[in-house]
Amino acid sequence: MKGCSMLLTALPLLAFAAAADASTVPLADVRIAADAGSIRRGAETVVTVCMNCHSLKYIKFRDLLDVGVKRDSLDLWKGDKDLNAALIGSTPAEVARQVYGVVPPDLSLITAAREEGGRYVYSLLTGFYTDDSGNTDNHVFPGITMPDILGYTFASNAKDRHEIENNAGDVAAFLVWAADPDAGVRKKIGIAVIIYLVILTVLLYFWKKRIWKGLDKGGSV
Amino acid sequence: MKKSLKGWIDARFPLSSFVKNELTDYPTPRNLNYWWNFGFLSGFVLVLQIVTGVFLAMHYKPAADEAFDSIQYIMREVNYGWLIRYIHSTGASAFFAVIFIHMARTLYYGSYRAPRELMWWSGQVLLIMLMATAFMGYLLPWGQMSYWGAQVITSLFGATPLIGEHIVIWLRGDFSVGDATLTRFFSLHYLFPFLICAVVVLHLVALHTVRSSNPSGITLHSRDNIPFHPYFTIKDFYGLGIFLIVFCAFVFFKPDFFIEADNNIPANPLKTPAHIVPEWYFLPFYAILRSIPDKLGGVVAMSMSIIIFAAMPFLDRCRVPGGACYRPLYRVMFYVFITDVLLLGYIGSQPPSATLTTVGEIATFFYFAIFALLPFTSYWENRLLLHREKLPAAALTLIREEKYIPVDQDDKKTDGERA
Repeated sequence: MKGCSMLLTALPLLAFAAAADASTVPLADVRIAADAGSIRRGAETVVTVCMNCHSLKYIKFRDLLDVGVKRDSLDLWKGDKDLNAALIGSTPAEVARQVYGVVPPDLSLITAAREEGGRYVYSLLTGFYTDDSGNTDNHVFPGITMPDILGYTFASNAKDRHEIENNAGDVAAFLVWAADPDAGVRKKIGIAVIIYLVILTVLLYFWKKRIWKGLDKGGSV
Repeated sequence: MKKSLKGWIDARFPLSSFVKNELTDYPTPRNLNYWWNFGFLSGFVLVLQIVTGVFLAMHYKPAADEAFDSIQYIMREVNYGWLIRYIHSTGASAFFAVIFIHMARTLYYGSYRAPRELMWWSGQVLLIMLMATAFMGYLLPWGQMSYWGAQVITSLFGATPLIGEHIVIWLRGDFSVGDATLTRFFSLHYLFPFLICAVVVLHLVALHTVRSSNPSGITLHSRDNIPFHPYFTIKDFYGLGIFLIVFCAFVFFKPDFFIEADNNIPANPLKTPAHIVPEWYFLPFYAILRSIPDKLGGVVAMSMSIIIFAAMPFLDRCRVPGGACYRPLYRVMFYVFITDVLLLGYIGSQPPSATLTTVGEIATFFYFAIFALLPFTSYWENRLLLHREKLPAAALTLIREEKYIPVDQDDKKTDGERA
């Protein structure tokens, strides 16, 4: 059982080191949009750019119709794949491993798998910088193997940077949707449920008062 | 027709008399406050968890390479699967919340005192069974936190002298948490709720034998009891309404509040998450575990921190009525204890640091010191308040009007021997 006790003592140390690491870079202070337009634009970037390497295995092409993607763009993106096919990246895992050393993570749940997931994705995509020796690195994810795919480090003026930031925001919006596609429906039902319960509870309160009113005050406690 | 059917059943099964004695006419103290709603709420959440759990099990795949995907299948493909799953995952937290409040109420009002020791102890068994069920259920999503949480907690059993290593392998069914662990945890996670139901029946039979305790902390004169129905059925349902508003606010608007971000990453035995934390309801006990430097000592302290509640009927020797209301020392100790548990919970949630470890050690000391002091403080309260009649007028009225004899069994025996 030596291994386990070592594990137990080592884990908190590791945890502390990593926690200190992660907290050094604050995420960008942005609000990730949840409107259909942003999600639809984000879908386009994700399918045409990100999916060169990444997959979203829990999302099907058909699901993109729900966020307002036009049928003809969808046909263009999916090629000869079925409408019910999952969004699988075009680089096979083995090839990715050879090129990057790692398999790019599936993006279906990426915003749920990180604290403040939407802001994390936005900050990561706009977190690329060129260091003094001319290498590209990332503020949010030091040592990242993913290239600066939106070209943030190449943007030479404020207008270009702004455009890339908008694009990153749309990607984040789409990925937030992908991690929790039923959020809209859930909140809609939730409002109805809460209203129903509040009315029911108010009625129960008055019913309770009415029943207890009939109780004689004879007791001593 | 209805009447004859009732007669037919009653000749063969005590249906009418059962409903009459245990529900409609069941005498219940009229002075119960809203803290007495939480037993009913615990029962409600138990049923909710079983019902949602049964439906989840229809779509869930208990296999290491399929479990994570099957949760996403439930969330995305099954009709209202997200609702069933979020009710179940939020329900686990709600269960502990209502159980902890139920326990705190029992402690505050001294409801564990004679003749309700068996209720308290069966409740204790239920708490431990609930913890085991929740722990095993948490492995099932097969995310990073599920996996590593199970890895750490099962390894704790390795602290058992001599046979520790064998116990760990026996629990996991493998040398580390894996497919074998997942399948057995799923099987037991499905079994335990039904065992819990059986113990709940014992808990209720004991309740209906000794009847509900009440804020006065003593058994009331029968004129102060009222029928359970309609007075407490409506009161319980009103409380349920309040509970459901809070519960549904989480389910529909903040369902991921109780789900760690790391648990949305599939389990990876080769990659340890940066910060392994148990679910919030285990945090105070986890902090106690961590504050003892020795592994075996930590495990013993953690187990003791849960089991020690069973000693309450022996530790508390005070016969003053009114729960903590008329017991100044006990009241202070109660609030210090609650604060201490919350502090331990915070410490358990944080990555360890030198300062926090020291605070955790002090908080752990206080946790046990309060139990250790109770025999002395309660004896003192008994002597100074009860025997010298230093009680507030309200407490004295209570003793007089309820014809309460504030002596415990031991006092009686000595009196008898003297006579």
